[in-house]
Amino acid sequence: MAHPKGPPKQPNHSPLEGSEVVSGDAPELRLQSEARKRAAWLRIKTLGSSSIARLNRQAAALFGAVGLLWLALSIATPNFFTSQNISNIALQSSVVGILAVGFTILLIGGEIDLSIGSTQAFAGTLAAVLIIQLGMPIWVGIGAALLIGVVIGSINGYFTLIARVPSFIVTLAMLGIVQGAAFVLTSGRTVGGFPSTYEVLGRGKIGPIPLPVVILLGVVMLAQIVLTQTKIGVELYAIGGNRKAAELVGLRINRVLMLAFIASASLCTLAGLILSSRLNAGHGSFGGDFLLEAVAAVIIGGTSLSGGAGSTFGTLAGVLLMSSIKNGLIHLGVDTFWQQVVVGALILAAVLADQMLKGTLHARELVPFRRGH
Amino acid sequence: MNPILAAQGIEKYYGHVRALSGATFDVRSNETVAVVGDNGAGKSTLIKVLTGAVLPDAGRILLEGEEVDFRSPRDSLDQGITAVYQDLALAGNLTVAENVFLGKIPTRWFRVDRAYMDRESARILEELAINVPGVRARTASLSGGQRQAVAIARAVHEGKRIMILDEPTAALGVQEGQKVLQIIEELRQQDMSIVIVSHNLDHVFRLADRIVVMRAGRVVGSRAKTDTSAAEIVHMIVGTSSALAEE
Repeated sequence: MAHPKGPPKQPNHSPLEGSEVVSGDAPELRLQSEARKRAAWLRIKTLGSSSIARLNRQAAALFGAVGLLWLALSIATPNFFTSQNISNIALQSSVVGILAVGFTILLIGGEIDLSIGSTQAFAGTLAAVLIIQLGMPIWVGIGAALLIGVVIGSINGYFTLIARVPSFIVTLAMLGIVQGAAFVLTSGRTVGGFPSTYEVLGRGKIGPIPLPVVILLGVVMLAQIVLTQTKIGVELYAIGGNRKAAELVGLRINRVLMLAFIASASLCTLAGLILSSRLNAGHGSFGGDFLLEAVAAVIIGGTSLSGGAGSTFGTLAGVLLMSSIKNGLIHLGVDTFWQQVVVGALILAAVLADQMLKGTLHARELVPFRRGH
Repeated sequence: MNPILAAQGIEKYYGHVRALSGATFDVRSNETVAVVGDNGAGKSTLIKVLTGAVLPDAGRILLEGEEVDFRSPRDSLDQGITAVYQDLALAGNLTVAENVFLGKIPTRWFRVDRAYMDRESARILEELAINVPGVRARTASLSGGQRQAVAIARAVHEGKRIMILDEPTAALGVQEGQKVLQIIEELRQQDMSIVIVSHNLDHVFRLADRIVVMRAGRVVGSRAKTDTSAAEIVHMIVGTSSALAEE
């Protein structure tokens, strides 16, 4: 083998060189090997950077971008940087953000949930029908909506994991089913007028901060902790990164992914409850473009489309960036119809960036026999 | 001495292709068996049947004389069989430490115990004299030899009594390959049965106690290393004149 750094037996002290070999059993080489072992120990203690740290840096960069955007917009328009408007951006981010966190979790595991927007709408509609039309207690409406989230997630999981239909198709079908079911529930009418206690969910505040924003931050933190600090989180990354490998080392893939499907759908129902409370009504069309926005936020946030990489901090930054851009367009006097165009273009731009990043990663992975550096 | 792991009359079809046609194989306690054969002889399929990664269409697997039914690699792991697959089965997006522990990640109060994982995997890698840039390095950023070493480190860490290695040196350069051979030689000294698939007869003769030859989905012969020669093994592999092979 041609060694790029010199003849094979010459010791190499580059701290990153790892493929050198002590061949044969010459005693002096053995001694060198002992010394090198001790050196290696130090190296192992001090070097190396984890994927998590990298993703956090990426999220930090995005938050920086949000800050720059805010600065630019507050110079460009007088009404942008007011506490009212910033609060609006945060509020607009909260429902999409919660959906996007669920989407992030599933995408990290290598699966996709296209039914997030409609599951959200269905949950809000169901709560409205139960609480307003049928006069049931608030907790029954909330409980039923959350339960339906678990059911929808389980059905998505069953068809994907047990029946082995790609999640893209399963959740596209589920999109149609729950969207239609939401319209059927109210015969297409808007059901409004929740009891005032229900409105707290979407309009309440903790100090100056709207409750939905607090809930979003809580969801982001909790999801990030589960993803990075628990066994099931690490296993989810492993499954998304290399499902075959995960299977070969004996991970319970179906169990982990089933929980991810349920988490995604449950977060959708939570988001649906918040939106119905904020709008004080439920209807199948509420949050119709949330799927697009959530996907955009997740991809901008650096979660890999091919699974195995991503963070909810990145997603939060992605949601903020997108909401800020949309809000900024309004303040700049751009026709609101352009918003969807911009969100779509943002997805393409983010996908392009993801591909370019991955392009370099793949170049590395396609050369497994690369020697030295 | 009874075999610790045995496969009897294993059949496996991929569509109309018969990958295994009645393969019979065994490995004894503390024995290192090499499986050799030409491309397509069925070596990898047989190995995967032994670990539950491939389900056979017919035949039995016996573990210490008891019939077992491996439906997935998880089942074989539970029974003390670990494997290093040809494609290494590493999650490139995880750190070295996470890959060493994948499948049995330690937790402390529901939190992944990363300090313990880092310390232990550093110790294991050090024991195996494996150099990696760091236990928190992304596994995808390692060289082929380093990744092979991480895969072996994981198998070692699992502490099973039977280890199966599919082409552990095929993807490596000469130096990296020598290193992996050294690791396997060290493993042989431990209380462990090893099955190693290899194309490289030099490696096979260096490592194995016994050499099993496969051809066209069958095990066509088994020789103690001391009773055979490279020439005989080659004849058995290519299937020329069985008279020659018997000499």
